[in-house]
Amino acid sequence: MHTELLSIFSKSKPQSKKKKKEKLVPSSSISFIIKAKKKTLIMQPCSREMQAMNSLLNPTQQIPLQDLQINGNRHHHQQIHVPSSSQFQYPTPTSTTHHDDSFLEQILSSTTSFPWSDETGPPNPEDNNNAGFNYDEMVLASKLRQHQINGGAAGNPFAAMKMMLMMQQQQQQQQMMLAGRPTVASAAAGGGITTNHQGGEGSMQALYNVFGDGSLHGTMQAKSFVGANSATEMTQSQGSGPTAGEAVTAPEKPKQRVRARRGQATDPHSIAERLRRVRIAERMKALQELVPNANKTDKASMLDEIIDYVKFLQLQVKVLSMSRLGGAAAVAPLVSEGGGDCIQTSANGGSHPRNSNGDQTPSANDRLTMTEHQVAKLMEEDMGSAMQYLQEKGLCLMPISLATAISSATSRSRNPMINHENPTNGSHLLIQSSGGDGPSSPSMSVLTVQSATMGNGGLEGGAASVSKP
Amino acid sequence: MNNPHHLNPTSLKSRFTTRFLRALTKIRAQKPISSSSPTEIFRRYRRIKAAADKSMAYSVRSRRIWSRAMLWKLRSRSYRRQDPCSGRRSGKTNQAIMKKSSNENTTTRREDGVGFVEEADELRQLVPGGETMNLCNLLDETAHYIKCLTTQVQVMKKIADFYSF
Repeated sequence: MHTELLSIFSKSKPQSKKKKKEKLVPSSSISFIIKAKKKTLIMQPCSREMQAMNSLLNPTQQIPLQDLQINGNRHHHQQIHVPSSSQFQYPTPTSTTHHDDSFLEQILSSTTSFPWSDETGPPNPEDNNNAGFNYDEMVLASKLRQHQINGGAAGNPFAAMKMMLMMQQQQQQQQMMLAGRPTVASAAAGGGITTNHQGGEGSMQALYNVFGDGSLHGTMQAKSFVGANSATEMTQSQGSGPTAGEAVTAPEKPKQRVRARRGQATDPHSIAERLRRVRIAERMKALQELVPNANKTDKASMLDEIIDYVKFLQLQVKVLSMSRLGGAAAVAPLVSEGGGDCIQTSANGGSHPRNSNGDQTPSANDRLTMTEHQVAKLMEEDMGSAMQYLQEKGLCLMPISLATAISSATSRSRNPMINHENPTNGSHLLIQSSGGDGPSSPSMSVLTVQSATMGNGGLEGGAASVSKP
Repeated sequence: MNNPHHLNPTSLKSRFTTRFLRALTKIRAQKPISSSSPTEIFRRYRRIKAAADKSMAYSVRSRRIWSRAMLWKLRSRSYRRQDPCSGRRSGKTNQAIMKKSSNENTTTRREDGVGFVEEADELRQLVPGGETMNLCNLLDETAHYIKCLTTQVQVMKKIADFYSF
């Protein structure tokens, strides 16, 4: 039995993809990194950070760097003995250079991926090997800090700047570099947390936590850094920054700092507001794809559509669970919990929702029920067909409020029920008229007038209900 | 027999299907279909609907706010049925917690600058557990809820088709 059902399922169309939310994957910055490879360091009059970066990563200067020959260090907490600073040399200039370049590019490009108000030119994703952190570092670091205070970009650049500060602090601890390296490499590779850093930077650790599997997987390895942990941290953060830009900010700051464009306010409140609006817009777009009839551009009407659709789906579930009771039993009056939705059927006939029961019971009540069930069934499949069915029968949907008004108005008339035609969409009241009264009856004339006026959609938020005044 | 287009056994649809079918068979075993009084039918309908909702909520586990809220609601309802006293107690404590959190949320909930308060409120009523969410999360939950509802409807329709011969 189950297999049969599953085979039935297999024929059904595939489920819609999840389109709830799309996580930001700023891979563009990474690709930018890879593309813009250069070997020479060019000091450009770019932003202060870039300058700092450049100076820090100056290859030509002696690099008290650790050796980047940490090959295959993909394990956390791996301590590598670091030779004294005097002996630092580039083990394999070419390889390390290459790595350094890519690493540097990553750093620089990641910083460039966020608009900086002070930038005077595109940062130079160069090179160099190594991070020769000279004493200019101090100056640059302070500049960076200032820049940071001025409201740096989100995530990555932030991390970068913090890195710079760290670097400045730990400049002397070159030995740490090596210790940091493997961790950096491993962290970059595996997205893990480097706990090897000296001078624990708790926030940095948090950053590392956030970094997912670095896109800089292999490239992070064997990077020559001058600075100590800070340098490594910087690379690490840089590496995974683009991928975890969003998350990075979370541990760093309570609220996100989005770099404002020129002419826009940098007030944190407005920035937060803008961010919220962007998120809400994203979600609305996702919802739009889920809900049919999503051609509304107005957000308010879109929300109304969504609400109607949710009500419709819940109604379908109710009807379906009702129908599953088997074709034999009567259906008791059902009143849904969701205030306003109301399916009232006073039927005793078969509640089998298929087409077969059309002729069984002559009473109006039963006809009502069967029609209603039929309509509900049709509504599940296709609203259009449901409407067509209604039209054939001379029925229509209308909001409950209107129906009650009409029923009270016509309660005096002989006709116990009312017919209306209204081909608009949505779940609405379905009222069945008694038998075959011609349009000459007064109630019918009233109704036709009503239907004409209703044609333009005063129907909203109603529920399918069948009422017998 | 092999199903060449067999569903992914861990997909939402298959999880819901298996659970729901199990619940249906249980319900069927409990009572015969011969009951004809309206209240009986009504009760049965309610039970089936509850089974459907519960199966769906269980299939989603507690990953979503709405599923958690729905599970809690169903559980409290069943507790209330079994033992009025305990149900009242647990219901009260739970409700107090929910109300409190919702109050906190409402007090801290700003106009959001987006201005869809009415619709948002209505949506909050529709989606289970929606009172305690801000607009952003509410939209997210709504999307997932809609997806699950469509799955539920599909499955139930197929079952009804299957059995209505």
